[in-house]
Amino acid sequence: MFNPRLVLTAFVAVFIAAACRPEPPPPPPAPTGPTPEELEAKRIADSIASAEAEALRLAAEKARLDRERMERARQLRATLEEMVFFDYDEANIRTDARSRLEAKLEILRDYPSVLMRMEGHADERGTSEYNVALGNERAESVILFLTGYGLDGVRFESVSYGEESPIASGSNEAAWAQNRRVEFVITGGAGDLGR
Amino acid sequence: MRRSTILAGVFLPALSAVAAGGLAAQEEEGTIPGVELGIVLENRYVPPIAVHPFTLSIAGDDALGREIELIIARDLDLSDRFLVRDTLPAEFAGGGVQYALWEQFEVDWLLTGTLEGDTAGDGRILAVELHDVVYGSLHERERFRVPERGSASFRMAVHAVSDAVVGWVTGERGAAATRIVLAMRAFGEERGKELYVVDSDGENLRRLTWDQSIVASPVWSPDGKRIAYTSWKSGVPRIYEFDLETGRDRALIPDGHGHQLTPSYHPDGHTIIFSVIGAEPKGIFTFNIRDGCCLTRLEGGPHQNLSPGYSPDGSSFSFLSSRLGTATPQIYVRPARGGSAELLSPYRFGAGGYFADPDWSPGSSKVAFAGGIKGRRQANRYNILVADVAKGDNRLVQLTREGNNEDPSWAPDDRHIVFKGQRTYGTGVFIVDTATGRTRLLVGNVLAEDPDWSPLLAGNGVGG
Repeated sequence: MFNPRLVLTAFVAVFIAAACRPEPPPPPPAPTGPTPEELEAKRIADSIASAEAEALRLAAEKARLDRERMERARQLRATLEEMVFFDYDEANIRTDARSRLEAKLEILRDYPSVLMRMEGHADERGTSEYNVALGNERAESVILFLTGYGLDGVRFESVSYGEESPIASGSNEAAWAQNRRVEFVITGGAGDLGR
Repeated sequence: MRRSTILAGVFLPALSAVAAGGLAAQEEEGTIPGVELGIVLENRYVPPIAVHPFTLSIAGDDALGREIELIIARDLDLSDRFLVRDTLPAEFAGGGVQYALWEQFEVDWLLTGTLEGDTAGDGRILAVELHDVVYGSLHERERFRVPERGSASFRMAVHAVSDAVVGWVTGERGAAATRIVLAMRAFGEERGKELYVVDSDGENLRRLTWDQSIVASPVWSPDGKRIAYTSWKSGVPRIYEFDLETGRDRALIPDGHGHQLTPSYHPDGHTIIFSVIGAEPKGIFTFNIRDGCCLTRLEGGPHQNLSPGYSPDGSSFSFLSSRLGTATPQIYVRPARGGSAELLSPYRFGAGGYFADPDWSPGSSKVAFAGGIKGRRQANRYNILVADVAKGDNRLVQLTREGNNEDPSWAPDDRHIVFKGQRTYGTGVFIVDTATGRTRLLVGNVLAEDPDWSPLLAGNGVGG
């Protein structure tokens, strides 16, 4: 990379220098290399080019780090937001839910500014009012799991929608199993994730 | 704990098999050992009644007169106290009452009426006479003011005439002049629930709220002018009161008291009893909404306590509690001033059972609830059950036998119950007569929860 303006200036300088010479005396020995002026100009151009290359490299590096951080934040966010599921009429933490909660636990320890809302849900079976209570019990049992490992309970809030917000339609076990869940919503500190 | 004996037909193959007043018991796999099941229905004589075409004194009232006759005849049918003769031979039209002829036509009661102008406005005066055909005499007569047809209170005023007729014959007032409030998915929406009201005869369904949220558990105030309900519109469930006269609502319970569910009015109309979840302390609370004071906790503990509802005199309340296990909620009754909760639903350790949605009838010692005692796999097949707190023998009457049935609520006649039903052909809101077992659809093809039956509304100016 070179700066055309600098090169032009150098050419003009050379041209003027040439134009100002008197009638040719016996020609001196032909120049065998660049003039000192040319060398100086090249040195400046090279220095500028390398500084610019370094700046670009640093920018690319920062973009890569940012990308990585965003990707890490995205993964952390996905881990935090991953739902956990429950057995019929139960609010106990299942073993598959336990590993998901432990993954969240680590992140929540690393990022103490992150706040979350646990949203409890029930499948359509059972009466609607009791299902609101059951959904809340599920949300609270998730919070209890996390605070049981020493996390501060004020970081979490719960709300239950009972059977009102299913994610799977249908009156079969496959749909019901999807709907007996706690969803996780990050309510604060999401910007700190990945830092 | 009381030992329960269920004399209801939870698992009987057919209602008709035992509908003749007998008591039948049958056990099937999945029932509670030692608990008997059967259906007990009254084998009461249902008197036939005819509604004679009204005499009109104002020209052009033909359509109005016919409409009023039809509303009344339908109300009498829906009251489940009469066999309504709706096809009358031509020779009976007009003229005075000839008891011998009506007797030949096998009616016990005859309703006649005269529609006159009302000097007080554009409405009419309906003078009705109830004739006792068997004794050949006039039984009762009364004049009723009927507002202008198409006015908000027209149908309610006619329903009140029907209720009076029921009262003359049975001594028990009918429940036609009432409405039912529902938490229902709005038409055209894919999520959420809004408050709707519908007249007791299924007419006049209209929307009350536009919360764009979820509402649940609406209940009428004792004066029929307000509706308390739960809404998620603030993000978490809280209790609001909708004023039917102004169309406005307000949060009833001060903020900072957790998530509030399942409100119900004390018979005095000033106190709300409700549940708190998602905060400590949780449980069942009361709050004086007239004075805005005196939050009091009546029930607590780590388990769920939901759906409280007062007895008619306010001295006791029924509620749901999961103290015996998350998967086996049960119905309890306890004194409002303090004392221990007594189990009302049938329970035996290890047998499962899921009982919810208790509703204490407004004028009797009967509590309706939904539930079943089959194992977990057959869950979501609940029936409407009725227990009598006063009898103490925990006899349980079962009122439904197909599909899934939840959310019972008593009519002010202490006889009919409205509930949510799911059938193979769809879901809707049904009404069952606890005396005969007769069931009818109130609103079909809707996603509705938690129907609540109003007190008698005629004459209190509730718009319509």
